[in-house]
Amino acid sequence: MSRRTLLQNILVTGVLLGVSTAVAVVFFHYSRNSTSVAIIYVLTVMLIARYTTGYVPGIIAALIGVACVNYVFTYPYMNLNFTIDGYPVTFLGMMVVSTITSTMTTNFKKQSQLLNEREKLLMEAEKETMRANLLRAVSHDLRTPLTSIIGMAQAYEESGDRLTSQEKTQMVANIREDADWLLNMVENLLSVTRIRMEDARVTTSPEPLEEVVAGAVQRFRKRLPDAKVRVRVPDEFLMVPMDPVLIGQVIINLLENAVYHSDSEEDIDLYVEKLPDEVVFHVRDYGKGIAPERLNTIFDGAGVDSSGSGDSHKGMGIGLTICKTIVMAHQGEIWALNRSQGAEFAFSLPLQWEEAEAEDRV
Amino acid sequence: MTNRQTMLIIEDEKNIGNYIETILISNGYKALRAMNGMSGLSMCTSHHPDLILLDLGLPDIDGMDVLERIRGFSGVPVIVISARTQEREKVTALDRGADDYITKPFGSEELLARIRTALRHSNQAGSQKTQTQTYTCDELTIDFEKRLVTLEGEDIHLTQIEYKLVSLLAKNAGKVLTYDFILKEIWGPYADTDNQILRVNMANIRRKLEKNPAEPHYIYTEIGVGYRMKEG
Repeated sequence: MSRRTLLQNILVTGVLLGVSTAVAVVFFHYSRNSTSVAIIYVLTVMLIARYTTGYVPGIIAALIGVACVNYVFTYPYMNLNFTIDGYPVTFLGMMVVSTITSTMTTNFKKQSQLLNEREKLLMEAEKETMRANLLRAVSHDLRTPLTSIIGMAQAYEESGDRLTSQEKTQMVANIREDADWLLNMVENLLSVTRIRMEDARVTTSPEPLEEVVAGAVQRFRKRLPDAKVRVRVPDEFLMVPMDPVLIGQVIINLLENAVYHSDSEEDIDLYVEKLPDEVVFHVRDYGKGIAPERLNTIFDGAGVDSSGSGDSHKGMGIGLTICKTIVMAHQGEIWALNRSQGAEFAFSLPLQWEEAEAEDRV
Repeated sequence: MTNRQTMLIIEDEKNIGNYIETILISNGYKALRAMNGMSGLSMCTSHHPDLILLDLGLPDIDGMDVLERIRGFSGVPVIVISARTQEREKVTALDRGADDYITKPFGSEELLARIRTALRHSNQAGSQKTQTQTYTCDELTIDFEKRLVTLEGEDIHLTQIEYKLVSLLAKNAGKVLTYDFILKEIWGPYADTDNQILRVNMANIRRKLEKNPAEPHYIYTEIGVGYRMKEG
């Protein structure tokens, strides 16, 4: 038993005994009924056993209680008399009560501790699976473009002089495309490191919504100059608590996802609407939509390999998983649905955070 | 080109150094290479380059120290090369005297544009009187003398603070200005470090100058760092 628990035990025992003695004195003064006084002490013993650790405090309290009842509250007052009728019964009763309560409490505490530990283990396991899923997705997504980059560079080295200039241009373009893809991947991975490990939350600061959206769209355009996006934000000037880099990454991932997976040339819509307690970002495309069987697991990184389309290189990969992780870390929600034409991805960010995190502002 | 301008590349990564050198040479600049901070500093004193490209992660001394030491004896334009993740680092570098930054990975167009901007601003600083009297970019014109802002031929009414902000950005067009720098320039050295007021003013300006605030054409936000106005 640590020093702290010992001190706590002594304190609890002392205070409770003191309080009950005071109550007993007042009570006894008016009613002269020592049986009731004994019951007060029984209750006290129970409470002490409940709120202390181990059996000792309860038993000591029982002993003191019996002594007090005998010494103070039964005739002859201020005298110990062990020959009173029923004395052994009272004593025994209080002992039993204290022991049983202590045992129960200790058991109860042990059980809750066990439960806690089990929960922690479960959470650890969940984290572990998440990490494993992520790693699996990452190694798949990294290896594919790397293979083609290395392969093409080698081919160029070995037979550079036999290639036509058109073939060469094509090869370099492919290398470039794959390198861009890799960069996107690495940026996604890096972004995850901004999420705190302990509580899976992010450090937020109030950011102007339009600036974050504009920044993300600008970066997206730089990466995919041919993609067409229509952007709309609320007219009202809104400051939303967030990590702007991470939310920018979510927007880019969703836009990119729409470009690669909608199979449509039509413009993508990115619009933000303000609700009373939150803002909702929508990315809507007008393509082929999401296969219904994938809707539920689309953010879980599952089905990276199993997606029926041959376009597995540009598979959903970790982009959407990371979107979910980021949005969750902002206490928001993310969802996907099929519209009459095309798919819509949306996520919400609360306008107020549950905990005040003002001190986190940079 | 008769008198080629000299760029000093302080970068320890061989491949990135090669890449930058290739771009510079093929665009008519002279390039010097330093593989670490100390040799970079000594080359800076012996060769007097016209511009320095400085990587922050150097093997011997911290890039930030190199920057401070260069600023100790020279006002040569310095463009910092940094990795994407640390906005803090960029802000610190800018506040300690770097002229601009560029994030890895960058394209040749971007690098050359930054170099041109930095060189132009340093030339201007050298000869104060040639400060241009107007800023023109696409449909936007600012007449600094008359304090007049016109967009597509129409006058734009800005408040005092808004005008100060726009003209500050326009005079430094192409350069990123940090929140702190702007706050100090407009609201004075004792301004609240809270940049909320700046953000609100910028939002108002955006509503007056930009067709779509979510797709600005003239003033860009560098998330976590500051604002940059498009070059005219």
